[in-house]
Amino acid sequence: MRLFILILCMTFSLFASDLTLEIVKDVGNLPKIAIEVSPESIEGKIGQKFFKLLLGDLKVTSHFDPISSSIGYARILDPIDYAKYKDVAYLLRYKLFYDDFGDLEARAVVYDVKTSKQLFQKLYRLRDKKRYPFIAHKIVYDFNEALHFPDVAFLKSFVIFAKYIAPKRSDIVLSDYTLTYQKTIVHGGLNIFPKWADKEQRSFYYTDMQGRPTLYRVDIYKGVRTKILSGEGMLVCSDVSEDGSRLLLTMAPKDQPDIYEYNLHTHALRRVTRYPGIDVNGNYIEGGARVVFVSDRLGNPTIFAKRINSDAVERIVYHGKNNSALNSFGHYIVYSSRESNNAFGPNTFNLYLTSTTSDYIRRLTANGVNIFPRFSSDGETILFIKEFQRQTALGVIRLKYNKSYLFPLYTGKIQSIDW
Amino acid sequence: MINKIMINKNLWFGLFVAAFLITGCAKKSVEIEAPQGHAPTQEQASEVNEGSGIKSVGEMSEESMTQEEKLRQMKMIESQAKKIYFDFDKYNIRPDQMPRVEYDAQLFNRPEAKPFGIKVEGNCDEWGTDEYNYALGLKRAKSVRDALEAKGVDPKRMSIISYGESNPVCTEHTKECWAKNRRVEFELIP
Repeated sequence: MRLFILILCMTFSLFASDLTLEIVKDVGNLPKIAIEVSPESIEGKIGQKFFKLLLGDLKVTSHFDPISSSIGYARILDPIDYAKYKDVAYLLRYKLFYDDFGDLEARAVVYDVKTSKQLFQKLYRLRDKKRYPFIAHKIVYDFNEALHFPDVAFLKSFVIFAKYIAPKRSDIVLSDYTLTYQKTIVHGGLNIFPKWADKEQRSFYYTDMQGRPTLYRVDIYKGVRTKILSGEGMLVCSDVSEDGSRLLLTMAPKDQPDIYEYNLHTHALRRVTRYPGIDVNGNYIEGGARVVFVSDRLGNPTIFAKRINSDAVERIVYHGKNNSALNSFGHYIVYSSRESNNAFGPNTFNLYLTSTTSDYIRRLTANGVNIFPRFSSDGETILFIKEFQRQTALGVIRLKYNKSYLFPLYTGKIQSIDW
Repeated sequence: MINKIMINKNLWFGLFVAAFLITGCAKKSVEIEAPQGHAPTQEQASEVNEGSGIKSVGEMSEESMTQEEKLRQMKMIESQAKKIYFDFDKYNIRPDQMPRVEYDAQLFNRPEAKPFGIKVEGNCDEWGTDEYNYALGLKRAKSVRDALEAKGVDPKRMSIISYGESNPVCTEHTKECWAKNRRVEFELIP
């Protein structure tokens, strides 16, 4: 009997760590949190957006249930209205203001409503007020950490994306994860496929399509651009190894799109795939031991994997008629799949999560065109773009919590995105 | 009698005409003003310098005129080339597009087109995702490049590039529009 219970427990713990398994039931309710803003806080566009960002961040953590029906007003040190918040666990109060030097400042305090104890308080200052979304993200990140909830570092991450501005013209833009703050980093010509070069998000790779496709690395803090290599036809940096020393590229030196690995130290270029059709979107899996990629070798694009030094290719996904984009983390693969042969009908592209270590496939979206899936740096969150009924939204999926959030987007057509 | 009268009439008419001519001439000679003649003192003409030495911006050397002519010719040939259209998610050339490929091969093999290189550009509709769409565009360009080579166009003249979905000719969300964007087109290079 003991052995049976032990095996049962081990089985559950095994399944619990597998993100491809869908959680069908929520255990318990999330603690409610109310937000109150100081009446002395700045108003207008920034004030309104700041509140919405806090609300969105709190939801996306999946650790809180923010009361979003209306905004409350109270000064930071005002007594708490217990009658109003009798079912509420936490109260977040903030004041957003300009200091004497014109810098944007925010004071945030979180109370335990039951004990009226201050659980967290911090003052934030920002020189460039355009970056105000990062204050909101940092407030939620900080007090989430102070309350010892699981890490939500993805809130503070930069997103880099390319957006089309005209035919054969696209810019590379840096933003926060909600795409509210946007700063154009590369402008002029066709600049595509930005990809972070390091975990610290200090530099990124992208392809300049003026003349021959050329891969550059840009240091965003120094504003320096370094040429990595150029090629014919197409050249894309699909993935960067864990230590940042190797790149998986899709390139076509002989007019044939295949996956190559480029060593930044030795400048050696190694061909990884040799199929005469389309092989693209190479991503390292299992710590760089294998490469997962999209290939049309069975007629329609789908997902395969192989070792870099071996010719043997393994099919990873056995469903869907067109699985043409993927992203990986560890042994997990998220991919976009076209559901029907009717390319122009509704319900066109859905996201799925699978793993190279299990047979499970988890469907992550239900409708619309869901593209550009990207794992966060801890692999627990997926960012994607959703197009549904002529509207575009930024989607965030919290895998462990089985929750999905959508934010409306007004950025124009996105070419590619990295998180 | 009648003759006398006739003669008299003629005489009077003749005298009248003669008198008229004489008086007319005399009158005219009076009216004619005596020629003034050139003044003996010559007035100095001032030189008009304003406007001299102005050159047109478009004034070009012979070499650049040739470049201009080359460019014009390239654009003319480009405009005559036919675009090759593809099915959704496909990169093989449809049978109905083969006559267009043949036309393009003949066009690019004309003596006036032969000095130029040919950039074969693959394009896709908005439905592809990420890298796959760029690879699809590249394969389309490669299919057309190979077909042109088979029809006698020198492969050394041709290079291929994919613009994925970045270069639409039509931006409406309709089937017809997407079909127009799934294409290979050409740019001549000197």
